[in-house]
Amino acid sequence: MKKHFRNGVWFLLLFPILTFAQQTPEPLINSTLTGTIIDSRAKTPLDGATVHIKGTTHEVLTDSKGKFSFRTGQKLPFTLLINYVGYQPLEIIVNDPVVTITLQESQTQLNEVVVVGYGTQRKSDISGSVASVPKNVLSQPTASFDNLLQGAVSGVSVTQSSGQPGSTATIRVRGGNSISFGNDPLYVIDGFIVYNNNSYTNSGATSGATVNALSTINPSDIESIEVLKDASATAIYGSRGANGVVLITTKRGKKGRDEISYSGYYGVQQATNKKKLLNASQWASLVNDINISDNVPKTYTDSAIAALGEGYDWQSAGLRDGAIQNHELSFSGGDDKTRYLVSGNYFNQEGIVLNTGFKRYSGRVNYERNLSDRFKISVNIFGSSSTQDETSNANGPAFATLLQTVPLVPIKNADGSYNTNNPYISVPTNPLQDITATTNRSYITRTLGNFSAEYKILQDLKLKISAGADLINTKQNYYAPSYTTAGYTPQGYGSVGNIKATTWLNENTLTYDHIFGNDHFLNVIVGYTTQSGNDESSVASAQKFPNDLTTYNSLGSASTPLLASSNAHSWTLNSWLARASYSYKHKYNATISARADGSSVLGTNNKWGYFPSIGLSWNISEEDFLKSNNTISNLKLRLSAGQTGNSGVPPYSSLSTLAPVNYYFGNPLTLVTGIAPTQLANPDLKWETTTQYNAGIDLSIIRNRVNFSVDAYYKKTTDLLLNVPFPVYTGYVNIVKNVGSVENKGFEFSINSENIKTQNFVWRSTLVFAKNLNKVLSLGPGILNFFPTAPIGQQSPVIVQTGLPVGTFWGYTTDGLLTGEDIAKGTPLLTGVPQQEGDRKYVPINGHTSVTNADKHELGNAQPKFTFGFSNNISWKKFDLSFLLQGSYGNKIFNQYQQLLEKPTLSLNASATLLDRWSASNPNGTVPRATNSPVPQIIDRYVEDGSYLRLKNISLGYSLPQSVLSRIRIKQVRVYVSAQNLFTITSYTGFDPEVNFYDGDNTKQGIDMGLYPSVKNFTAGLNVTF
Amino acid sequence: MKTIFIKKSINKRRLITALIITSILGTVTILESCNKLVEDPTSVVVSTQFYKTQSDAIAAVNAVYNTLNASPGDFPMYGRQLNLLTDNASDNHNFSPSNTNPDVRAMGTVTYVSSNGRILKNWQQHYFGINRANIAIDNIALIDASQFSNAALKDRLINEAKFIRGLLYFNLVRLFGDVPLALHNPTSTDLRSIQVPRTSKDSVYAQIIQDLKDATNLPKSYSGSDIGRITSGAAHSLLAKVYVTRRQWSNALTELQAVLNGGYNYALIPNFKDVFQKATKNGVEHIFSVQFNGNGGEANSVQYLSSSFTSFNTGTFPIDIISDSSVVKIFADDDTRKAVTFYTTQYNPANGQTVVFNNPYTPYLNKFVDYSVTPLNSQNLSSINFPVIRFAEILLLQAEVLNEINGGPTAEAYTAINQVRHRANVPELTKGLNQAAFRDSVFLERRKEFIQEGQRWFDLVRKGGNSLVDALHKIAAKSAASPKDTLFPIPLTEIQLNPLLKQNPGWE
Repeated sequence: MKKHFRNGVWFLLLFPILTFAQQTPEPLINSTLTGTIIDSRAKTPLDGATVHIKGTTHEVLTDSKGKFSFRTGQKLPFTLLINYVGYQPLEIIVNDPVVTITLQESQTQLNEVVVVGYGTQRKSDISGSVASVPKNVLSQPTASFDNLLQGAVSGVSVTQSSGQPGSTATIRVRGGNSISFGNDPLYVIDGFIVYNNNSYTNSGATSGATVNALSTINPSDIESIEVLKDASATAIYGSRGANGVVLITTKRGKKGRDEISYSGYYGVQQATNKKKLLNASQWASLVNDINISDNVPKTYTDSAIAALGEGYDWQSAGLRDGAIQNHELSFSGGDDKTRYLVSGNYFNQEGIVLNTGFKRYSGRVNYERNLSDRFKISVNIFGSSSTQDETSNANGPAFATLLQTVPLVPIKNADGSYNTNNPYISVPTNPLQDITATTNRSYITRTLGNFSAEYKILQDLKLKISAGADLINTKQNYYAPSYTTAGYTPQGYGSVGNIKATTWLNENTLTYDHIFGNDHFLNVIVGYTTQSGNDESSVASAQKFPNDLTTYNSLGSASTPLLASSNAHSWTLNSWLARASYSYKHKYNATISARADGSSVLGTNNKWGYFPSIGLSWNISEEDFLKSNNTISNLKLRLSAGQTGNSGVPPYSSLSTLAPVNYYFGNPLTLVTGIAPTQLANPDLKWETTTQYNAGIDLSIIRNRVNFSVDAYYKKTTDLLLNVPFPVYTGYVNIVKNVGSVENKGFEFSINSENIKTQNFVWRSTLVFAKNLNKVLSLGPGILNFFPTAPIGQQSPVIVQTGLPVGTFWGYTTDGLLTGEDIAKGTPLLTGVPQQEGDRKYVPINGHTSVTNADKHELGNAQPKFTFGFSNNISWKKFDLSFLLQGSYGNKIFNQYQQLLEKPTLSLNASATLLDRWSASNPNGTVPRATNSPVPQIIDRYVEDGSYLRLKNISLGYSLPQSVLSRIRIKQVRVYVSAQNLFTITSYTGFDPEVNFYDGDNTKQGIDMGLYPSVKNFTAGLNVTF
Repeated sequence: MKTIFIKKSINKRRLITALIITSILGTVTILESCNKLVEDPTSVVVSTQFYKTQSDAIAAVNAVYNTLNASPGDFPMYGRQLNLLTDNASDNHNFSPSNTNPDVRAMGTVTYVSSNGRILKNWQQHYFGINRANIAIDNIALIDASQFSNAALKDRLINEAKFIRGLLYFNLVRLFGDVPLALHNPTSTDLRSIQVPRTSKDSVYAQIIQDLKDATNLPKSYSGSDIGRITSGAAHSLLAKVYVTRRQWSNALTELQAVLNGGYNYALIPNFKDVFQKATKNGVEHIFSVQFNGNGGEANSVQYLSSSFTSFNTGTFPIDIISDSSVVKIFADDDTRKAVTFYTTQYNPANGQTVVFNNPYTPYLNKFVDYSVTPLNSQNLSSINFPVIRFAEILLLQAEVLNEINGGPTAEAYTAINQVRHRANVPELTKGLNQAAFRDSVFLERRKEFIQEGQRWFDLVRKGGNSLVDALHKIAAKSAASPKDTLFPIPLTEIQLNPLLKQNPGWE
């Protein structure tokens, strides 16, 4: 069946080739016309304006000098229709064969067109909340476009999971709706719906942070990004619209002359900061203090301590200056019938930690052709090949482990080889060698192709059919040689993994766009779409390699194969959609949309969900009483309400599935397979519903020089797809059920202003601000709270509890250290651990006389009180300067890495904060006395303020003047230097306040495991257009 | 400058139109009929497809065994999780400096509370096993007998599952007292409909005894690839232990005699060390053991108890340690069990050096260190089985039961306990002890024999009176112990989800 579908797609894809055989007959010539089109103020030529002779199909484009020319069968005079983006359209009667026509810049933005779901809409008619990412933000150096959203759009928060090149980012549009499943926005790339699934790039063969599937997309291909935020805008995406929709439009050829562009940059990256650790003599003193607590003789004499000195700096040994470079070559152009763009890209980012990095080759072809004036086809094909090298988490995060290495231990031997004689670890290995010698690599090949055909059945009625596929192939390799920590015990450990993931999409829409009379604008779209996906994965691993020569490429040479695993899933989503937009004189606008989604992953009783929305807007400035107002150039009120969904559970979540497990019988023992239940059937499993209300005001003053946009919203998500705790006596710990609810409410605004505009000097600023309040309203009957699963040997620092935001930290409040006086007067002590003077003083709650688990309570949460971004563009003559300040306020981070570093032990290095530990000679110390491996409790000390202000990007450019360019026959040359993360103002003590170790898990936000240091970079770049 | 002319070609347009319409109709029709929303997984089995054949039945029972040695991402039930309650919370063990989890440390210091994660995990792993047994018992019964290669196999599989269900409920009822008695897979996901109160201890025991009686119909032994499965001998042995716990001495004796005289040929392995070796696993003494295999490479067979040795580096610590030196002092120096139970040195074959461990936590525990692995410190590849019941316990139970039935030790009772002592190279027990003194001797012998084998806490509670609290108070770190500790608290979250469960006394 699927095969038929693919045949259909191939047919459609081949179809345009059949139609190229058209020939153009010679026309009759009655007159010629040449002209120039220029800007009314600057008198500069306008390149690429369309000039159309009214009443004919004749249309030409201006060239780079603003010139156009007709040879036509028409006779003078005739009427020209001239259009140019950002300028008022002009209808002009021409009598002379040579003309100069001036175009006026659009005074209002009303005629601007904005990309919305399944089409475009005039900005003036929009009722929903739609934000565009500013152009200059799109040119930042980055591996993955999701980073570009940071600080650029109000209501979108972006948190990089770590500084690892190609790592994931947590993107939230107006807060997280779901607790257990799916909080990522839906991405739509040139109309192709991509629900980003990082499991398509993570087979489980490698060890480390999740590979970001979005990093396979080349950010420099992107022309524009729109973010749909409220229900009126997103309901057309139905069961996948609840988390917002990010619409990405890639660059395409423009009518006009063929262009060749090169853009590239090269730069260096450095760690923004390092952890302050103990040096050798400081660590030896710590050991002595532990000895005192243990009541055993001191290990080091005072003179020995002094002789140790600084010791060895393992942290710095693991870091390097990493190069980052990007090269992009594109060919684009078009004529009346055809537009094309072909581009190739090479991106290479070395990680600042040794043996890490991300590299990508990609290519794109965007092609569009009008086969007739009724029929247009287009093809967008993108392919990329990415390679990511990561630090491994096999023995704890590798970089974090490096920092914990005792500074007494030399890094290398005299002969330059790695020193493996480390008396403080269990196996004779070297943590730096672990980083350099371990292979932990992912190769991702992605092809995303989409074909569409548009046919105008009537002048106002358009049929569009598109079909496309997104193919992701991932291969992952892991090898820990026998001389590394992870490979020592198994005598070499190798693993390979493969994933093949395919998504097919077919969309069929009918659009009716008509103006009734002069005042009634109606746009109706109806459609049927179907999307299906399947993924297949396998992992094979082996250990006990006879040598480290063939590694993961010859698992067969290992003597102990491990149980191989493979998996497969498939899913289908069938949808009907409809939207009607009506505008009366662009003054009163209404949009109604609805989508019905049938999803295979939901229970048999609830496959179909229905998602309606309504949006109303009123362009008050179009009313007579404001029309002549000189201050207010645009004032619009928007109101919307609607329901969207989330069905982000994996396939088969509603079925009672069984899975294989193992046991041994026999002599000798041999493996047997058991089949065990994994979940109970839930035929009622359905989508989450988010009901959202939005009210917004857009205001533009002083001829649109200052634009305000304010939105307030309330979202309530009900029937949560919640992985709820279940009474364990049933044999099931959790089940996925539709229970509970979460609310998000907030407001956001953006100010966009042209502060100064003169002939030579222009300064534009954009300020975005967003505040979101998240709260768990209910977790279903009988459940007040639950703790997300913590790794073995750890306690969960987070709780999910009714009445609190998701991502709330849960632990003890402390009050400095216990004094002798405290002990004497019977201050409540922590049970389970003998406590004495100089130990941490835990504070009981509710008047308890001792401190137990029951005294843990809320310690703040990972949700920011607000986020903001402030971007500026300044141009002076041919110089341009832009910068983006961005930040977050009020979010807390659980600095689990600092907790680890503040644990005094006899075998690991520790944080320099331990220098101020309590001891008999330092009774006013702020850190507890040194004891051997105390229990790492979840305490307020490690719940740190994660607020920050960061200069995310600053860039200074210079464009060669026209006079020079015309001499060297180049259209445009711009050189620039830029820096990212130049400074960050924060009180957070970890590497970077922008951190999220468990990025895929919404319940464990804001936890820092010291995975990777944060990075700043300096780049120099060149853009040339021929 | 470009000039473009467009001329319509009517014929072409018709052709195009026709083609488009055809392709649209074709595509839409195909898609409509093909992209069905019904899920038909190819990578997982759905329960409605399963429990139809003999191999399904075998796999269902294998899955019950699996709950004894595996819990992905956590400690296995036998192999550490249960030991955290029965040994760490007893007077034998304490937490190790290497334990980073406060919940684990709280077990060692007997300061755990009802939200302790390790107590919840034990509860969870036991009920996991019980549910898999319930599913196996209910579903295998529905499989047509003609599916089985021999008539006995169907009953055998059901009875294996019943034994494990009985074993797990026996653990639960001793750890927690009254517990919910689940005997079927839940049919609803509705919280209210599955909330149940605790079932009385007596009813739970009645079910345990019924299950174990059924299991006495199991084969006496297995050969080849079935070695390690549950035998009728194991069922009689466990039943005896249940009756001893219930103080039903004559029933216990009947079962013990079935073990001793039933033709099983159980015996003590002459060298105590060989009870805990890979090469001598499933020997004459091993009545029922949980199987571990470190060489299959499967990550799910990790015997954490073997991590009482992990490194030749004296600065690192093993996973569990002794409570204090008192547990070492109960052994005579020439008791062969002492050197098998503890170590203070390790010979490193890689460099020929012997490392001496000497610190406040030594000697370290030794029984489950797998000396067959190379390198020796890769103990997560351990192949040491966990003995649930071994013949030494049968002898000690026999001694205890005879002492209780006859108001004092009989000659047979002395013979039984002295067999265990002979092997350990300790003199015969003093003759002429009265009933109480003999009872104490048996319990002391059990302590020496079964360190690290998940018995001590059960024994102290079973002995009754203040035995548990008195014993714990002798350990400095366990001064927090109180009478409420004779039962573990029902896990807090379990009560929150099911308010019909009432907490144990002292734990409210």
